[in-house]
Amino acid sequence: MRFFLTCVLTALTLMSMSVVMAADKIVLDGSTTVGPIAKAFAEAYMKENPDVNISVSESGSGNGAKSLINGACHIADMSRFMKDKEFAAAVEKGIMPVAHCVALDGIAMIVHPSNPVKAITMAQIKDIYTGKITNWKDLGGPDVKIVMISRDTNSGTYETFEGLVMKKEKIVEGCEYVGSNGAVRGRVQSTPAGIGYVGIGFLDKSVKALTVGGVYPTKKSISSGKYPIARPLFMFTNGYPKMGTHLFTFVNYYLSPKGQEIVEAIGFVPITEY
Amino acid sequence: MKAHTRKILDKSFTGMGFMSVILLTLSLVIVLGPIFVRGIQAFLFFDTVEYRRMQLDLFDRGDPEEVKAELDEVWAERRFIYDTIAAFEEQVENEEIENSWEYPEKIDSLNDSLKALFGPRPDEPEPVLPRDRYGETRWDRAQQTFKLVMYKEQWDYSDPSAMGSKVLVPRIDSFRGTTVEQIFPYMEENLEKLMLPEFTFYWQFLTDKSHDIHFFGGIGAEVLGTFYLVIGTMLFAIPIGVIAAIYLAEFAKEGKIVSLLRTAISTLAGVPSIVFGLFGLAFFINTMEVSQSKSVLAGSLTLTLLVLPTIIRAAEEAILAVPKAYKEASLSLGASKLYTILKVILPAAMPGILTGIVISMGRAAGETAPIIFTAAVSVGQPLGLFETLNQPTMALPWNIYNLVTEHEAVDQIRHVQFGMVFTLVLLVVVLNFAAIVLRARISKKLRG
Repeated sequence: MRFFLTCVLTALTLMSMSVVMAADKIVLDGSTTVGPIAKAFAEAYMKENPDVNISVSESGSGNGAKSLINGACHIADMSRFMKDKEFAAAVEKGIMPVAHCVALDGIAMIVHPSNPVKAITMAQIKDIYTGKITNWKDLGGPDVKIVMISRDTNSGTYETFEGLVMKKEKIVEGCEYVGSNGAVRGRVQSTPAGIGYVGIGFLDKSVKALTVGGVYPTKKSISSGKYPIARPLFMFTNGYPKMGTHLFTFVNYYLSPKGQEIVEAIGFVPITEY
Repeated sequence: MKAHTRKILDKSFTGMGFMSVILLTLSLVIVLGPIFVRGIQAFLFFDTVEYRRMQLDLFDRGDPEEVKAELDEVWAERRFIYDTIAAFEEQVENEEIENSWEYPEKIDSLNDSLKALFGPRPDEPEPVLPRDRYGETRWDRAQQTFKLVMYKEQWDYSDPSAMGSKVLVPRIDSFRGTTVEQIFPYMEENLEKLMLPEFTFYWQFLTDKSHDIHFFGGIGAEVLGTFYLVIGTMLFAIPIGVIAAIYLAEFAKEGKIVSLLRTAISTLAGVPSIVFGLFGLAFFINTMEVSQSKSVLAGSLTLTLLVLPTIIRAAEEAILAVPKAYKEASLSLGASKLYTILKVILPAAMPGILTGIVISMGRAAGETAPIIFTAAVSVGQPLGLFETLNQPTMALPWNIYNLVTEHEAVDQIRHVQFGMVFTLVLLVVVLNFAAIVLRARISKKLRG
């Protein structure tokens, strides 16, 4: 019995102490595309300020917005802008979302490196995902059925893709939906006939990016607007953070030369030439 | 049935039992074998000079003098490669050789592959991310990367009716007849001198913080987070579970309500774990607001719900298995019911209860789904004891999943992933083993 009493008492003391202890913390939630930036910023910032605990979770832009609206996070990472509905829900709860654009990103169309197809057009991508083109033969490749891979509907990358490429037309049934940029790359890596789309920060040697309308996704073609599927990446806060707080410095970290350098090192496009 | 038919049946039954034991052992070996073999490589491996430089920079480990001497040694060797390339670049720029226009691209590609192997040159500005600051820190990875220095990966699309195939083109071929040609055999012969591999036992993998999102360092924060979650879960689950079991076994009068309770507990045991996760988010975080956002506390409470049925059932079975005579003897001596339960029945039931507890500890350590929404994050600091009440943590099961699916360089950190899986499996195996030992020791003690 003494053992159980000790347990209960310890639990109770722990709970009562919670009010007293409140270390500096910043909670980030949201997009898996912004994730690498958020994680690298967090690590760099925590190294400079060891007394702050910055935690990052990657659950998709939609969930990030929900968390911010529910007051469950300080910063929502989003790879798209907030929707009207989300703004309305936020304001209703007394939360004013403020956008901070931390980097630019292009959505690269990726295929397996063994795929001889090198170029694709916007119309062709749309035809693939609406089911009008089903074979690589039609794009100048071998006679193999195309395996479509898409992000889940909670993703900001999906919404950007839907808005810019699909023009609100529905993706055909039989498309495979996966939960993160890394998972799309992983699927394409293991599927020779696959096609998918990821933020350019996720490009590596294991997959091949296609040129879209003759333009290859590079830093230059994205920031100049030549690459057609490009978008800004955001961090949303509730109101503008108070000056001098860690939240203020952290959310503006992308403005520092180091922040911009990190964005570029990860593979995204920094906003300025720093 | 005739005697010999029975004998045959008996024998075939024994045979089948034996077979299934063999199958079970085999599948265990097949499943756990690779985990152990590859997981142990996160701890025991051949490191390179880059590893020792990284350990000195990031963790202050090793003798600075010695590392510096080693670095001087390898750069004296590497210098020759870079000097040869630089001299050749100059020749190309001055168009002193034939077809000089085709070389800049080849040189760039060669330099990139060298950078991946050796890291940036000492005279280059230091890259901002630690992952770009060092060459290959592990000898096994270094050998793979070296292959990409020697051979260029290309895809052959010559057959229009099929997907292309991978071909490895020796890089030396693109530099035939130039001065750069000599560096390839030079590197092949002196690779060990260029990287200085050395056997190392990196036990700190268990306690080190990760650097640059698991490119370097260990899994200390995850291990600590997992312990917090397990201990927190047990703090809530043991009292509630054991008290519930005592009630069900000793006090409850069989009736509709109690049978409903039992059904509820059995059903709880069969609910998929992700449902607990969503419930935890909706109930503990959004409704009860035990913490503003994800926290170890909320995660522990959610895991408590998950393991409660196991603990209640094990404890109830153990209490019911205590011989009636114990209880009757105690009551006949004038002891109260509460005293009897605490002093006679619970100690006798302890082995069974403890087994249930330790097994559910293993469950709590390994569950991913309940903590996705309630406790786990992909980056965070290791927490202090009191920060667990309102801050989220990294935890082994969730971070394994996260590193394998969402990390931006999945292939480069395979050893970390396997190391984490190994640690988690080892943790669960140790806990289950502890349960067996504990049970045996206590029942021996009780028997006198």
